Amino acid sequence: MIADFVRILRAADIRVSPAETLDAAEIFETIGFDDRSILKHALGQTLAKTEMEKQAFDEAFETYFRVPEETPPAALSDAMSEDDAGDEESGESETQSGSDEMSGEGQPQQAGEGGEGSEGGEGGEAANQTLTEMLQNRDMAALQAAMQQAASQAGIADAKLFTQQGMFSRRIMEAMGLADLDARIRQMNEGGETERAEQLKQGRAQLFEAVQDFVERQIAMRTKNAGRLLREDALSRIRLSNLDKSDMKIMRELIRKLAKRLASRHSRRRKKAQRGMLDIRRTMRANVAFDGNLFNLAWRRVKVERPKLIVLCDVSGSVAAVSRFFLMFLYSLDEVMPKTRSFVFSNRAGEISDILQNDDLEAAMEAALRQYGGGSTDYGVSMMDLAAATLDSVDKKTTVMVLGDARSNYGDPGHLVLKEFYERAGRVIFLNPEPESVWDTGDSEMKKLGAFCTHKQTCNSVKHLERVLDDLLRLSS
Amino acid sequence: MSKEKTARDAIEGLMAGYEKLGYVSDEQIATALFLAQQLEKPLLVEGPPGVGKTELAKATAEYLGLDMIRLQCYEGLDEAKALYEWQYGKQLLYTQVLKEKLGDLMEGAATLDQSMDKLHDFEDVFFSEQFLQTRPLLEALRADDGIVLLIDEIDKSDDEFEAFLLEILSDYQISIPELGTVKAKKPPLVFLTSNNTREIGDALKRRCLHLYIPFPDAARENTILQARVPELDKSLRTNVVDFVQKLREMDLKKPPAVSETIDWARTVVLLNMDVLESDFVKNTLNVLLKFKSDIESVESELPRLMRESQNPKQQNPKQQDAKESGAAAE
Repeated sequence: MIADFVRILRAADIRVSPAETLDAAEIFETIGFDDRSILKHALGQTLAKTEMEKQAFDEAFETYFRVPEETPPAALSDAMSEDDAGDEESGESETQSGSDEMSGEGQPQQAGEGGEGSEGGEGGEAANQTLTEMLQNRDMAALQAAMQQAASQAGIADAKLFTQQGMFSRRIMEAMGLADLDARIRQMNEGGETERAEQLKQGRAQLFEAVQDFVERQIAMRTKNAGRLLREDALSRIRLSNLDKSDMKIMRELIRKLAKRLASRHSRRRKKAQRGMLDIRRTMRANVAFDGNLFNLAWRRVKVERPKLIVLCDVSGSVAAVSRFFLMFLYSLDEVMPKTRSFVFSNRAGEISDILQNDDLEAAMEAALRQYGGGSTDYGVSMMDLAAATLDSVDKKTTVMVLGDARSNYGDPGHLVLKEFYERAGRVIFLNPEPESVWDTGDSEMKKLGAFCTHKQTCNSVKHLERVLDDLLRLSS
Repeated sequence: MSKEKTARDAIEGLMAGYEKLGYVSDEQIATALFLAQQLEKPLLVEGPPGVGKTELAKATAEYLGLDMIRLQCYEGLDEAKALYEWQYGKQLLYTQVLKEKLGDLMEGAATLDQSMDKLHDFEDVFFSEQFLQTRPLLEALRADDGIVLLIDEIDKSDDEFEAFLLEILSDYQISIPELGTVKAKKPPLVFLTSNNTREIGDALKRRCLHLYIPFPDAARENTILQARVPELDKSLRTNVVDFVQKLREMDLKKPPAVSETIDWARTVVLLNMDVLESDFVKNTLNVLLKFKSDIESVESELPRLMRESQNPKQQNPKQQDAKESGAAAE
């Protein structure tokens, strides 16, 4: 049961390790099942380790520990007690039963009392009843237990998709003895007991509803996040220019996530360099002059290079979407990223580093696009602008990144300016959102521009972006 | 069933015991403490600054009658400062002494091989306990009858330090390459606190129980004030708590925490105030709020806040006064 609960937690996007599962088992042992609030606190403290996880945990705990142990779903109990009221009456006198059923529906209170009574009376001896008997006796506890058992037989723990709902409901019904019940109804019909058969049928329908409800809840619980994960995965591969407006939000979230992952991976490596330890060998060597008396201690240190990054992004038409996400990604990385200067261009280039420092990246991007986007692309002029602004500060530690489709409307592609960057900078990287097969077709000047790049590659999905930035960080640390 | 009984009893006992020491806990916190002791697991306490995370460890030490060792984390903290260090100076002196004595020792050794053999006969004291400078973590492991170890603000330390803590936290032992493994005589009760300035690694989280302490609700804050500032009169205490709770609802850079509420309550006592007057509140806002922009935004809202925090309870005529003066200020 713990394992099952843990599985549900995992589905709710809580990361639970096997060791934590063991801890949870230990907690069950120490605390027991009876004190719910303490159990909840205790499990929460062992299994959910962030605030977000805590919320998800609370939800999952409430759902999971309600279903098997507490009252059956209201719909079922109501429906069943109505049925019960009808059933009991019909046992006494068949002529009255029809009207009684009506009154049962009209007065839920009476029906409810009937339900309680029978539950208390028959809950214990439910084990070997057939489905028909349970329905006839309206034995709630037994039905509930049977449903649970049937559910685990049907393998509901493996349920993954909402489309499986019908199948699982059917399977559970069958495991509970649907065939038997059907046969019984037929038999009653043939035997002239139409009234009772009718009631059984109704009971069956209600049971079916209850089972469906149960299955739906179970599946919802188990698959809450599967869909989202699937979607995120798909989104990270999709071409950014094809992105739907509605996906933007998920996308931003995704980028934030990836950026965080990159940041944590690389911050580790960079910080390592800042540690100092006694370097015996160098100490010895440094103190030979003092006859081996160790005056100057030498400490082990690794120099950290903080490379500079200059980014030039095309924000005209087709490339805008990619640029946007690229910059978004880049600035989510400020933790580990060296100082970055960003420029955007269509016909003229302009620096947007400052506005991008703002918290509201989205608004900043909009502003930048309004200011610089829209014109027809002119690589030549834009490169000149970039050179005027930055060329002096470019040195061997600088990485220059250009993001664009290299389509310059048959104008000057600015490759000669790029050449100057190429000669001075450590690296020049050209990211082109177009696939390599269409480079150099039409007005694409990839050949000319590419000649002065250390590195050029296609880049049109978040996956690509991640890889590019990962490489960049790896080289810089 | 009996197990459950004892668990609940133990937890309630803990709550009562802590309250006697002036630390007001709740079921959540007490459960965590109970588990930490039962399972011998470190407890990672998170929450906004000033909700009593460090206080919790102190109270625990007092409650259990143990000593507490506190390790304050900061960026650049490494094992040399947290665990142990070789006393380089002493070692250098030792080599000097050794050099002088070397002539005497080597007497009678004709060849180089012989003198090397002789040298090897000596105990290797260079890396031994004598030159070992213990630091908080090692001290905690060496404590004879258990100890409360508080690793404060773990989020300020680096990732490597976190990784280095793993061995200590899961097995309560440390490997020192030159000496071997040091195992705790009695597992210390470990508290780690974090302000969440960065995400703690999964490996560390996995080994700990995780307790999140939020800002307290009005009732608990009231009890806390009662325990910490008993001089404060009851109705005034309610006013103070209401006002602070209101402040937390506002959009502030740093909402006032429990410690600030306590400070403010002390201020009220110190200045002998009978009611919360608008002027007084205005002048002492700097006790509660630590950013200029926060103070400014609260000042402009002050009349409304004063009204709202006192309106619900009008049975006290003094409050009525305060409310009027608030309105007048408006």
